[in-house]
Amino acid sequence: MNTGSGLKVIAILDYYSSPCFKCILTPEVFIKPHLSVSLSLSLSLCQMDGSVGPMRVLVTGGSGLVGRAIERVVKEGGGREGEKWIFLSSKEANLVSAEETRAAFKKHRPTHVIHLAAMVGGLYRNMRQNLDFWRNNVHINDNVLNMSHEFGVVKVVSCLSTCVFPDKTTYPIDETMMHNGAPHDSNYGYAYAKRMIDVHNRALFQQYGLKYTAVIPTNMFGAHDNFNIEDGHVMPGLIHKTYLAKKEGKPLHVWGSGRALRQFIYSLDLARLFLWVLREYDEVEPIILSVGEEDELTVKDAVDAVVEGFGFKGEVIYDTSKSDGQIKKTANNAKLRKYLPDFKFTPFKQAVKETCDWFAANYDTARK
Amino acid sequence: MPILCDHYYIFGTLATQDVYLTWMDGFCSSTRLLRSDHRLSMGLRSGEFPGQGSKISMSAEETRAVFERHRPTHVIHLAAMVGGLFRNMRQNLDFWRNNVFINDNVLQAAHDFDVVKVVSCLSTCIFPDKTTYPIDESMIHNGPPHETNFGYAYAKRMIDVQNRALFQQYGRRYTAVIPTNVFGPHDNYNIEDGHVLPGLIHKTYLAKKEGTPLQVWGSGRALRQFIYSLDLARLFLWVLREYDEVEPIILSVGEEDELSIKFAADAVVEALGFEGDVIYDTSKADGQFKKTASNAKLRKYLPDFKFTPFRAAIKETCDWFVANYDSARK
Repeated sequence: MNTGSGLKVIAILDYYSSPCFKCILTPEVFIKPHLSVSLSLSLSLCQMDGSVGPMRVLVTGGSGLVGRAIERVVKEGGGREGEKWIFLSSKEANLVSAEETRAAFKKHRPTHVIHLAAMVGGLYRNMRQNLDFWRNNVHINDNVLNMSHEFGVVKVVSCLSTCVFPDKTTYPIDETMMHNGAPHDSNYGYAYAKRMIDVHNRALFQQYGLKYTAVIPTNMFGAHDNFNIEDGHVMPGLIHKTYLAKKEGKPLHVWGSGRALRQFIYSLDLARLFLWVLREYDEVEPIILSVGEEDELTVKDAVDAVVEGFGFKGEVIYDTSKSDGQIKKTANNAKLRKYLPDFKFTPFKQAVKETCDWFAANYDTARK
Repeated sequence: MPILCDHYYIFGTLATQDVYLTWMDGFCSSTRLLRSDHRLSMGLRSGEFPGQGSKISMSAEETRAVFERHRPTHVIHLAAMVGGLFRNMRQNLDFWRNNVFINDNVLQAAHDFDVVKVVSCLSTCIFPDKTTYPIDESMIHNGPPHETNFGYAYAKRMIDVQNRALFQQYGRRYTAVIPTNVFGPHDNYNIEDGHVLPGLIHKTYLAKKEGTPLQVWGSGRALRQFIYSLDLARLFLWVLREYDEVEPIILSVGEEDELSIKFAADAVVEALGFEGDVIYDTSKADGQFKKTASNAKLRKYLPDFKFTPFRAAIKETCDWFVANYDSARK
């Protein structure tokens, strides 16, 4: 490339080759006081038809429930020719640190990012440590979004949650309602930090035209979850408790009346949808990824599926002295259905059986 | 005379305490540390010692270095990236990020250095766009802010979130105030970028000087509550010393003292002795017609607090502007 002033630019090409490409200068641009300029280029590919070519996708939080599901879906045909997928875990980089985040981006040079990393925890830890949940997650999110911007990442898909929505609200909730009031008092630190991903995305779009976005799953479950009974979520908690009850020949104690209603989404279905969002979903406003309202299930339905999944034959006792949590937190998946009217979710009982089988086979190494 | 700028200073020494202040000059991050060994009096006597120019805002390390050097026991946190309507609209990302960093750096350093109390500064402009009036302290998070400055607004709201989290996790009683429209000497008098009163003062000054009419944007009917910077400063000191809640407090004259822009323009015209035509350009937006804030909480604590009469405050401000025109920020 020759610039008008007579400087010769030597482009260091990566392994991409394409008829046309867009060069994005990274912070390492330096100009020697001679006639040549050395550039370290981070290439973003554009094919002749305007679409983005082979991608390098960095998945933060890559070793978690969703990260592992994405890894499996990519391996089993969801990935495309020439794509590189990098699954980052906290062992490799502490994303609370701007320097470590920058080092990871420099090393992997992603064109796309799926941002799943977060400080998460159960109800009681959130209640005790709202400051840590707020600060650590704000730092993680700012580091990832800011480095993505700086390194010319074309698209970032972050992960929100229905638990960040306003505490006082009407149902069903939809994507427009996220900021319409204060979140629940027990986890406002986590909730605000997640909401601010959406604020950051909108500001990046308004100021730089970047279309970074986010998804909002409902209750996820699947292999590689956190099955800790105290600290985990309802499905993995039930699975672990039923496994132990069967093993020890004891009754299964379920917290609450069993009447609370939830929408569950299998991690592999979520992973398939994540890939669709990464490639096709073009809005900045987030999108709820969930089964529809008509597929809302009671906790008792979930218990029955787990009991069947393990072949548990003992007694099931509902401890009504324990709280049900919210009786209903129905989310509207109309936007998803508008885009993907034919998407088929894995039947619930089958998904639960697969997860139970995985847990039984991997009990020793499962996170609990 | 206390130094005031588009955000205002309050400084003084309270017995053995150093009041440490952060101040931003436009968009550059320089810190001025103002310490006075004089006891505070109602007249807010000031002494300004040579400041250290050091970068504070976006760098946690530099913020900590400043705290390390000065070891404050209390902090009044006024520093922010601010700007007029149009700059906000163009740069929501910068307003969001820079302010979140500034605020996190100051609040976290304060916590780490065991600062007893931090009083931060919010604004009525961060409240929900769709709301009922009058607004009060409990309503800040009840809905999204106005689209034009959501970056700035959310960053300021998160000060309150962080204060509550610091209290819940560590028992820290860091708090914040919510002023309405502030005015006074040392303001930012830039006509394009500034707020309504300093803009009016500057425009009237020029109209008088050049013998041209005074053009006021809007119909003049929009209503505002104005608070004189010196009154606000006195209240800041009361908050620092006596106000014990974590929930923020609105610092403002009452609803009954809400004034129209026309009333404010008349006061400025009178103060500067302007005798030319005053033209209301109704093609320009009025902005929000009313954004009445309730000062009931303030009045519960300080039923007898006397605000400086509006005309007197305007006169003092105009006199200052005339005397300091060359060096005033504009």
